[in-house]
Amino acid sequence: MKRFYIILVLLTLSVTALAQNGRSLYNKYSDLPGMEAVYISPAMFRMMGKIPDVEFQDGNVNFGPIIKSMSGFYLLNATDPKVGADLYADVKKFIDKGEYELLMEAKENGEVARIYSVGDEKTVTSLVMLTQEGSETAFISIDGQMDREELENILAQAAAE
Amino acid sequence: MKTLDEISRLSADDLERIGSDESIPVPEDLEVRLPGRSPERAWYIAAAAALLIGVGVSGYLGLQQPKDTFEDPYLAYAAVEKAMNRIAGTVQYGAEKITETESAIDKINYWK
Repeated sequence: MKRFYIILVLLTLSVTALAQNGRSLYNKYSDLPGMEAVYISPAMFRMMGKIPDVEFQDGNVNFGPIIKSMSGFYLLNATDPKVGADLYADVKKFIDKGEYELLMEAKENGEVARIYSVGDEKTVTSLVMLTQEGSETAFISIDGQMDREELENILAQAAAE
Repeated sequence: MKTLDEISRLSADDLERIGSDESIPVPEDLEVRLPGRSPERAWYIAAAAALLIGVGVSGYLGLQQPKDTFEDPYLAYAAVEKAMNRIAGTVQYGAEKITETESAIDKINYWK
């Protein structure tokens, strides 16, 4: 029986250890009930890059230049607490195993919000947001070649609105 | 030598009595003729199979290209813009917490 559990653990570890990136998390969770899921491919980002001028409905912040430097987008929003807890744990594993740097963390009354990034001083190649508010868990992962200063300025500008 | 049919008609007591009868010679090459399956080997095979299945499932999940949610780039653009505002909201939330904490520290320092 002990050996059976060891094999079960091996199976689970091999799946979870290797299947941790934005795409695999999206593939794993996007079809579950109660899940809001959005995926935007690199091809769609190339098409978006050709959009000349966009009317911005949300405030006056121009996200255009930074969006044009993105190449992949995954969003998962779980309303089921059980699925949300699994998603949260999987994202944490994916973050802990990667080269992610914690940019911001806020915790209050059991609610958690974290933002992580990967890149160097000048460029952000991946931006991840993970939040848990009540029974809702949200995961956003953005890939690209985003200018760090421009990204930080735009986020600060949007936050101030 | 007994036939299979005769053996199947024997009771458990008969089988036990025959088994404990030391006058019946045990063939020297019995282990060669009847090789037992090593339970160790079976567990190693099961462990290797579990790893292979795991790696296969992981690879499948990691490589499978999801379908674009939007066909219209303007809708995709709007979705990314909405997400960026959401991230900005989280940044703002974090900044508020820092301000609240700083203000609480200032009050403590004032009364010291």
